[in-house]
Amino acid sequence: MTVIPIQDIEALVRSFDDSDWEEMRVVVDGLELFLSKNPADRLVSAPVTTGTDKTLPAPAPSAPAKSNSKATTIDVPEGMVMVRAPNLGTFYRAPKPGAPPYVSIGQKVEPETELCLIEVMKLFTSVPSGVRGTVQKILAEDSQLVEFDQPLFLIDPRS
Amino acid sequence: MPLRRILIANRSEIALRIARAARSLGMQTVLAASAADRDSVAAREADRTVVIGPAPARASYLDARLIVHAAKSTGCDGLHPSYGFLSERSSLAALCEQEGIAFVGPSAESIEAVGDKLAARRLAKAAGVAMTPGSAKLETAEDAVAFADEIGYPVVTKASAGGGGRGMVVARDARSLRDGFARASIEAKEAFGDGALFLERYVERARHVEVQVVGDGAGRVVQFGERDCSLQRRYQKMVEEAPAAALPDATRTRLHKAAVDLLASINYRNAGTVEFLYDVDRDEFSFMEVNARIQVEHPVSEMITGVDLVQLQLRVAGGETSSLRQSDIAPEGHAIEVRILAEDPDRNFAPSPGRITQWVAPRGEGVRIDTAMEVGASVPPYYDSMIAKLIVHAADRPRAVARLRDALDQFQISGVATNLRLLRAIVGHREFIEGRFDTRWLETVLLPSFVGEKDS
Repeated sequence: MTVIPIQDIEALVRSFDDSDWEEMRVVVDGLELFLSKNPADRLVSAPVTTGTDKTLPAPAPSAPAKSNSKATTIDVPEGMVMVRAPNLGTFYRAPKPGAPPYVSIGQKVEPETELCLIEVMKLFTSVPSGVRGTVQKILAEDSQLVEFDQPLFLIDPRS
Repeated sequence: MPLRRILIANRSEIALRIARAARSLGMQTVLAASAADRDSVAAREADRTVVIGPAPARASYLDARLIVHAAKSTGCDGLHPSYGFLSERSSLAALCEQEGIAFVGPSAESIEAVGDKLAARRLAKAAGVAMTPGSAKLETAEDAVAFADEIGYPVVTKASAGGGGRGMVVARDARSLRDGFARASIEAKEAFGDGALFLERYVERARHVEVQVVGDGAGRVVQFGERDCSLQRRYQKMVEEAPAAALPDATRTRLHKAAVDLLASINYRNAGTVEFLYDVDRDEFSFMEVNARIQVEHPVSEMITGVDLVQLQLRVAGGETSSLRQSDIAPEGHAIEVRILAEDPDRNFAPSPGRITQWVAPRGEGVRIDTAMEVGASVPPYYDSMIAKLIVHAADRPRAVARLRDALDQFQISGVATNLRLLRAIVGHREFIEGRFDTRWLETVLLPSFVGEKDS
């Protein structure tokens, strides 16, 4: 897989910022970049609450086995960066079954370091860290379904 | 085998409607929602909600692979696409078939057979369904002029790959046809990725009538009466009623038979609609297209037949074939639906997204509201602007119109601009009350007077 230099991404973001476009999506090999000027589309590093918790009645007893509250409210500590799922899919920590995981807690990562794979109908997309730092927390379980925007990794960029 | 758990691949009122229909059949529901809809009323109603992608539809509701992955990962054995988005993409149906998930819709093969307009016309012709004189695919403006010389003017161009008014240009002579042909082809190319056009005779006074059917995939097709959807703005329906009061009984019977014959010829499975253009002056109908999905306006047919069409779709998708009998269908009374849109008719129908701050919906006998709105609910800017359907049913058309006027008067919505005032103007208009309108009435008669009223 080609690694896209961070300078190229920065250049794309700058030209997007200067443009009057509402949004931009770039897919190159394993990288998918989605830029949007709509605050509702915010994907990464925003200390927002997320989740699909029901605000009203609890699920009926006949509800499917898996909980409806996938992503609970997670506070992103000051200065930390949350890497979130770019779309729904199955979360894999390793490139293949039995292989060591891409990253572990305490590991230092670069912006282009691959953190995990998200699989959608046998198509695997890697998720890069996006920042330099240390993996503080891993918030999703291997080979489980994750939803769009679900917190996956907490990165501390100061260490 | 009856379905146990279905994925709902849609949003708003129809997602809610499907969730309730599924529950009443004892099925569980998983809603595949975009980030903009994660806190919607439909999300609350479903047993589980999964957020599949960001707000823009092409990264969420229009991504078939995400949707099927969500269905598989949550243990669904059925998938309901409802209307719009991917509902008529054969690729979604094929993907479901491949993954062993029952698609609550026709087979991929049927979708292809009726999805392309020229293919559908060939099918209709083979089934003996009446058609407006029309051409095969035309390559050039000169081919179009030659064909128009044969059938006579006026003529209208149509896009082979889709509808919604795009690729349609009316021409009354060769010169305007030459000019219009290129324009229509470009429009069709932009809208559908395919600039292919064909030509039809243009009907001056037309009504849009359509027949609701359900097929069981085993050759049995039952009709649930017809609807009149002549009140349209830019080919978007705004008011729909059942039955079509303008049709003589003999014509109505032939119309129903044509629809059933057409879809029975392909062993159609699922709810479907066959649309026709009715030429009032000639008392002739001609085939337009098949909509291979549940439609927005299905409630008016439910109101006159007492059948829950969404439940029927779900049962048929689960393989049930015994429940369809034409003799059980006995339409009664008259039903009318109006579409309430978050659009401002005073600002050229500009969409008006926002948050609902007041929602007072009418109630009472023979009044039905299909909506996922309430105080505090949001109307996101990314999708269709329809926020509710108001449906009334009464013993006959005059009483249904009166009931609709009362119901519209009671409806109060604040927080977003709506077309309620326009709907009141339509329903209060003498020509609407008397049933004297055609497919151009809304744009040529009602709207100009409505705009004038505001200015005075």
